[in-house]
Amino acid sequence: MSAAAGPAPVKRQAIDRARIVGLIQSRGAILVLILAAIVAGSIFPDFLHAANVEDIVTAGTFLGLVAIGQTFVIILGGFDLSVGSMVGLGTVIAAYAQPFGWVPALLLPILAGILVGLIDGLLIARTRMAPFIVTLAALLALKGAAIALAGESMVVARPGFFGQIANAHWLGVSNLIVILVAAYALGALVLNRTPFGAAIFAIGGNEEAARMLGIQVERVKVLTYCVSGGLAGLSGALLAARLSSGISSAGNGYELQSIAAAVIGGVLLTGGVGTMTGALAGVLLLGLINNVINQIGSLSAAYQGLASGTFLLLAVIIQAGLSRTKRS
Amino acid sequence: MTLGSAGSRAAAFATAAFGATALGATLLASPAMAQSNGGAQVVGHVSSAVCTNPSPSHASLKGMIVGFSQSENEQNPFRAAETNSVKAAAKDEGVKRLLYTNANDDEAKQVADIESMIAQGAQALIVAPLNSTGLQPALAQAAAKHIPVVTIDRATAGTPCTDFITFIGSNFYVQGQRSGEALAKATGDKANIVEIQGAYGNSVETERTQGFADAIKKYPNMKLLAAQTGNWSATDAQRVMEQLLLAHPDTNALYSQADVMTLGAMRAMQQNGKTPGKDVAIVSIDGTKDLVQAIAAGRADADIETNPRFGPLSFQALNDWFAGKPVPQQLIMKDFLYDKSNAASSLKSGRPY
Repeated sequence: MSAAAGPAPVKRQAIDRARIVGLIQSRGAILVLILAAIVAGSIFPDFLHAANVEDIVTAGTFLGLVAIGQTFVIILGGFDLSVGSMVGLGTVIAAYAQPFGWVPALLLPILAGILVGLIDGLLIARTRMAPFIVTLAALLALKGAAIALAGESMVVARPGFFGQIANAHWLGVSNLIVILVAAYALGALVLNRTPFGAAIFAIGGNEEAARMLGIQVERVKVLTYCVSGGLAGLSGALLAARLSSGISSAGNGYELQSIAAAVIGGVLLTGGVGTMTGALAGVLLLGLINNVINQIGSLSAAYQGLASGTFLLLAVIIQAGLSRTKRS
Repeated sequence: MTLGSAGSRAAAFATAAFGATALGATLLASPAMAQSNGGAQVVGHVSSAVCTNPSPSHASLKGMIVGFSQSENEQNPFRAAETNSVKAAAKDEGVKRLLYTNANDDEAKQVADIESMIAQGAQALIVAPLNSTGLQPALAQAAAKHIPVVTIDRATAGTPCTDFITFIGSNFYVQGQRSGEALAKATGDKANIVEIQGAYGNSVETERTQGFADAIKKYPNMKLLAAQTGNWSATDAQRVMEQLLLAHPDTNALYSQADVMTLGAMRAMQQNGKTPGKDVAIVSIDGTKDLVQAIAAGRADADIETNPRFGPLSFQALNDWFAGKPVPQQLIMKDFLYDKSNAASSLKSGRPY
């Protein structure tokens, strides 16, 4: 008893510090986002204009949906490079399906994405192939499939209600924003309040330990890649609705941008750590950088890449520092 | 990962004949066109179909808010020159404010950009579409608010006069055809050709490929040995050219669909011990400074220009629209052809970008 009484305050201090570090890790991106928005708003009068904020969020919806799945996969300890091509293929499938109604146009891309996730997941979980290689192969194959099906692009004739899904407003707010917020809320719920979410964290933290705890590692992995693929398919379907088009090159680069968004948002590439709100903040920060460069107007768009890259590097450096503090 | 970017999607100019309609003449006589020695665009074909403002406001562009939606990153010299031209023309025109956005290769962003500029009070729009389709919902919003849209360099899906008042740009098929003719001329109608194409799944690539193929059909001794994509990228083109030279050592002519790829392919030739322009005849498309310099130095043979200076013609079209004058639905550029006879003088005149 007396032996434990001595180190207790020290231990509590360490726990407090770990908690603060954890908070910075998970909420830091939100803080940076708010600060950046305030700074941008005070420099550029148009920045906080409702239309401009809506521009950032609606344009970020498609990357945002992809980033949810990517965050799941990264927390699990993997990567999904196939998502960008899946968005493009999703727009093409939706364009083909729309003449049969908005339901197939919305659902078929999601199903295709789940199928891709299933194949990726099985290869990764069962054969222990590296996620990087498996999903890179999928990136190439899906891009080829999209071009084979549509060439450059195809128009969705008479989009009707399908087009409304992504272009109309609900209570004055763009449907896309409603969808994005709902998707992130659902994502957070699954990640933090379900056994599936707990299993993802456990596997990403320590796969062998998770296995010993009786978690069905293979099944969770396959399911996680299915979630990622399905969300990329959904993103593609909504993008087709938004653009009234299937475009084979749509979503180009989303695979890396979604990883960047997650990392900026405090998701650790080594797995086991991350939050949905962080990932969303990462997506919005990338959009904000884009937008601010446009506000400046005289800067070449090349600076968007430079600024995004700098943010990413800063995020990684801070993460590394925080992780070290936590361990000590 | 900008697979689809390039010094490529484009429009062009030349010194030759104009579509000598009354409309073409008014357009070409406009003050904006007078400054042509800087390399201004020259219209080659004016469509007979026109769009006319049903209720012209006769408002002047001075004091108006105009929006410009750029599609791709300005690392690409074509895009940089295009943006600069629109900005300079806006200044010359004295517009109250030019809103500028860059979609950075993202279709979703271009739609949001256009919507945002409409919400910020844009009274006229100039749009460089990223793709041949995908902007319909955004254009419909502009139409609903009677905001005229000028589309430049890539045509995009929509109804003329409703979704946009005009398209200003080049005919990419004709560019391919003229490249074929230029290569025949450079090689005496006898060549073993390799072709480096733009990124697949892109209408610019398809049209430049088809035009070239149709042109060389006439020459039985012009043989196309191989065609591969260089993805509008110098490094990809270099790698592809290395492989093609190994597979076809008898190659003595290159058709490349973009200058940036041509420069990569030329590096591969040098590594392979072949002298560009001497051992391998070279025809390219774009008209950038780097390649015109290569022609002047004898390291390449011809380059079809795609002129990115869209500003003056775009504002001219908007002025005509607001004044109630008919605006041609299509203004197709007369592309300049750089070759050994004019490369040096063109460089002096500042035409290549």
